[in-house]
Parts: sequence; structure tokens; C-alpha cells
Amino acid sequence: MMLLALALLPGLLWDEPPASVEALREAGITSIYVPAERYKAWKQAGQFAAQTADIRHVVKLPAPAVLYRNNIASATRAPWLVSSGWRFLRNTQGRFLYEAQGTQAALAAAEAFCFGGSALVHTSGDGLKPFAEMIEFLRGLGESDTAPVADIGFIDDGSAIAGEVMNLMVRDNLLFQVVSGTGPPLKLTVRLGSKELPLKDARNPSMAAHEIRAQLTDERRSIRVYGSEVVVARLTALPDGVRVHLLNYAGAERKLDGLRVRVAGRYTKHRLAVAGSPQAELLDYSADSEATEFTLPELKTYAVIDLSR
Amino acid sequence: MPGPYPGRVIRVHAQGAIDAQTDAVSRPVVQQMLDAGMQDLTGERRPADAWARFIAPEDVIGIKVNCSGAPQIRSSPEVVSGIVENVMAVGVPASRIYIYERFANQMRSVNYGSYVPAGVNVLAAEGDFARGAVLGYDPYTYVETCFFGEDDTRSNLVRLVSDRFTKIINVPNAKEHQASGITGCLKNIAYGNFSNVARSHQSEKTFTYSFIGTLAAVQPLPSRVVLHIMDSLAGVWHAGPFSRNRRFRFYPKQLCFGTDPVAMDAKLIELIEAQRKLEGAISIFDRSRKHLGNNRDPNFNRFIREPGHVEYASKLGLGIFDSGAISLREIEL
Repeated sequence: MMLLALALLPGLLWDEPPASVEALREAGITSIYVPAERYKAWKQAGQFAAQTADIRHVVKLPAPAVLYRNNIASATRAPWLVSSGWRFLRNTQGRFLYEAQGTQAALAAAEAFCFGGSALVHTSGDGLKPFAEMIEFLRGLGESDTAPVADIGFIDDGSAIAGEVMNLMVRDNLLFQVVSGTGPPLKLTVRLGSKELPLKDARNPSMAAHEIRAQLTDERRSIRVYGSEVVVARLTALPDGVRVHLLNYAGAERKLDGLRVRVAGRYTKHRLAVAGSPQAELLDYSADSEATEFTLPELKTYAVIDLSR
Repeated sequence: MPGPYPGRVIRVHAQGAIDAQTDAVSRPVVQQMLDAGMQDLTGERRPADAWARFIAPEDVIGIKVNCSGAPQIRSSPEVVSGIVENVMAVGVPASRIYIYERFANQMRSVNYGSYVPAGVNVLAAEGDFARGAVLGYDPYTYVETCFFGEDDTRSNLVRLVSDRFTKIINVPNAKEHQASGITGCLKNIAYGNFSNVARSHQSEKTFTYSFIGTLAAVQPLPSRVVLHIMDSLAGVWHAGPFSRNRRFRFYPKQLCFGTDPVAMDAKLIELIEAQRKLEGAISIFDRSRKHLGNNRDPNFNRFIREPGHVEYASKLGLGIFDSGAISLREIEL
């Protein structure tokens, strides 16, 4: 039985019969999770590492994506990101299941890894190779469960509005963690319904997210991203620095040509890993007493930059 | 900016410069206009000496064209090639001349390369990258501000401007602009040399009033832009900066010369206003919400225009706006 909460890497949920083993091998898949009713057949076939997946209590997630909505009138031109990052942050012990086809399977795996979530990805044949390649990339990154870096402590009342505010904070690259209000103080602690963030204002989650940003101020943000509206950034702590995660929700089909990143703090050393671009090098790197900045020349789906002093 | 001739605008008109029916431009007439304008601006008797007031053989020259309304309206290739010819006559080799814009697709629709000598560089800041790519911009020179809550709050200067060019010749068109009221010298310098500027407009609101001048004042831009030659052979009096509707195009058949972008744009406001009055359209200074709407009708607009950006720029020291202090000289060929 799979222990989802302890998994470091997302797993593949595969509900095809053992006759599909060649497709898995061709794609580079080395292990799978199967529904309980398929497990016996896979075990008898004996050709592949299969485990049963307990999907009775999983939270189902949509595939990560960008909805450009060019034909819909809107108060904003910003594209809509289908992101589940906030769900992982709200429910750190949760078990999740993506439905993701094609290259979105890779994006789903990267998103779960980026947010430290325990997830399975259910895909079809065209998602196998992208998924396998992403897992191989993630495996090369090493330990993933380092502590998140947050600027904002968010006291979550469990409401739908609070969920949407968290969703918009993720999309706006406002680093937060869900807190109870009794832990060590962060730069800003937010609770819907407080004097600083009245419920009547929070009914418009977008305005609430903007208000939180205004209260924090851009100057105090630990990370800023310039050059894209479809990249979500996340920071996790390393022993002597931070790990920068950059996730392009447009995916590999719409790779980004250049992204400028600013991280608070001075980090003189860096190590870069970009999925699908093994030769990539950071450009225009600078580190002063306040911040470190660099340009990532290309981003297909996911990049990780380890910064150290 | 405003350079050696603050408040001075030279306007050269030639009836034969452009055929209003076919949009065909006469290269020989344009050359005469360039000569006349440059000689009058500088007081030099020989065109080569006039150009040498601004350019030296060792310079790297950027020619900032405007292709935002291309292919219907753009800095005419005949004007641009005439400028290139004069710059080369000063002694600048083709390899150190750059005709540039921000967007490659707009540049391609004009095909400047077929009008200029081999070796002249024709390129776009965002090149062959995806629209919005940051690699063609200087990561260290930017204006940071938030207009509508956008997360990307930086507008960066074209990297060639900070890293390569020693002088820039600005070649805008004469156009009304739905957001800024007009688009002439200042807007072509500002929005044409910085990334991520469209974020300053949303719904009917635009921050062009202060953003245009703010960008144009960012060094090294104002110290590198040495000359403005406004291509007003054809213009747009409504629904600019595009020219999809031929009804809104007009033909001043002029080239304007100066080193003061504010004074030149002040005169452009007059030109656009006069044409709109002739057409029975409301002023670009109109701020009534009842005129917000589909701009197929020239009495409606998508934005509340901000032509005051020209006067605002004067307060940043970019030039002279006071009409009493502007000297307009008109030359008829």
C-alpha cells in the first residue's frame, strides 16, 4: 500500500492492464501505482514494479494549465492559472490525484514536487514520456522536503473565500504558509475578518490578495519574478541558502524566453537545473547586500536554482 | 534632450512627397526634404555638415523607427533609408547603423532591409523570441511601478540602447493615440524603448500622462537621442496608433526636424487637433465618459486620452511646451 504522505516524488497511477507494459518501458517508467482491482493481474504478470494505490480519500486536482481566455471580457488581462499549489499548502498531510494528459502530466508532477505535495498523476499513453522525463529530472534534484520560506502567515478559517485568497497569493508569488497564529512571527500575519482585512473586503479574493501584498510591500517580498504572468515561484530553505523553484504553467509548448528573478539576500553561488535544458546558464547574475538577481534564459516547465552564500 | 535647439521645430512640406491614393513615397523628394530640414535646423549650408553636428564617424547609431501601425503606417522606408545614407556620408559604416523597434513581426512587415545598403542592421529588441521576452532588455536599467496590481512591475530599457548605441535618431510618425492622445517623439522614445509598457492601460484608464515622460527621462536614453525626424508624410487622426481604417488616415506631406521632443509633440498636438476639427471629431483633450465606446466612430474612444503627457514631460526638463517659446519654421518645397 502506498504511503502518499511520505512520498518524495509523485507517482504514476496507471489503470491499464499488464499488456500495456511495453508502453511503460518505452516511455522510461520504472514503477507504477495501480488500482486495487488491477494489482493481482500486475503481480501475476511479474514484469513490473507495481504497488496498489489507495485513492479512496484523495483530493482530485485539475491538470495545471493557463487559460488565456482571450474571448472573455474581463477586468484584467492577466491569464488565469489553473494552479493547485494552495491546496498543498492548506493541506500538508493531504493525498492528491491529478488527471493530466500529455505534457500536462509533467507539469502536474513538477507542481506537486514544487509544493511538497504527496500526489499521484493519472495519465494516458501520451503523458507517459513527459511524466517519466520529469520524474527523472526531479530525482536528480535530491532532497525535496526542505522547509518552505514564507513572508506571510495566513490564518486559514477553512472557508472557500480563504482558499481562493490563498490561490491568488500563490499565483501572485506572495509566499505564505498556513499558521495558527501562535508560532514565530513572519513579516506579516493575515486573518480574514481582522481589522486589517475585513470580511467585506475579502469577499473579492483578488482585492484581498492585493491588500495583503500592499500590507507586506514589494520591498519586503523574498522573491519577485519579472517577465511573465504565468510563472509561479516558490522558495525553500537550504542549509546555507535557499532553493528557488520556478514553474511555467504554460508548459513546454510555450517556453519562456527569459525570466528575471530577484531573491532577497546576498547569495554569491548558484547551481541551476532546468528541465529540458541541461546546458542552461544563468545570465546577468548580481548579488548585493540586499538582493540577488539573475536571468533564466529559458524556461520550459520547471527550473530549480540553489543559491548559497 | 532637449539638445542644442530647445523649442525649435522645422516643418518641411512637399506636395510631391507622397501619393495619397497609392501611398507611394518619392525618395528624391524625401531627400530634398531631409536636406532642407537639416540645413535649416542647424544653419549649415551643406547637408553633410548639418548631419556632422550630431554624428561622428566613430558613433554607433540607433535609428528608432515606429512600426506599431505597420504595415499601413510606419516610419517610411524611404525616409529611413535617406537618414541611413546621410549617416553613412558622415563616415559611419553600415555595420554600425541599427534600425530597430521592439517587435520583430512589425519590423518584418516593413522590410527595411531591402531599402538600405547591405550591412545595415535591422532588428527588434524582442527579436525572434516570444512576445514579451526579457532577453533583449537591460536587466539593470528599469522603471519600477505598479499601475493596476500587476506583479511584473518593471519596464526595462532596450539593451542595445544602454550597451551599444552612442547616438539615437528618433523617427516617429504623426499619429493620434487612443490612450496617450498623440504618439510622436516622446512616446516613440519611451514606449518604444522599454519593455512591459502596455500594462499602463486598463479599461478606460491609462497612466500615460506621467509614464511616457518618466521613461523618456531615464538615462542614458535622453543623452543618446540627439535628433528627431518626425515622418508626417502620412498620419493618423483617430484610432491610432494603428491605421486599420483608411478613413482615419490623412496626408500632411511633411517631415519635421528638431532636437526638442516636447516642442515637436506640442506642434503634433496642434496638427492632430486641426485635422480632427476638420473631420468634425471631438478634441483629444475631451475627458467626458459619454464619449467612451467603440472608436469606429471618431467621437468615441476606448480610453480617456492623456495628451497632457507632453506638457508633463516638459516639467521633467525634456523640452519646451510653452507655445510662446516654441519657434516653428515652415519650409515649402
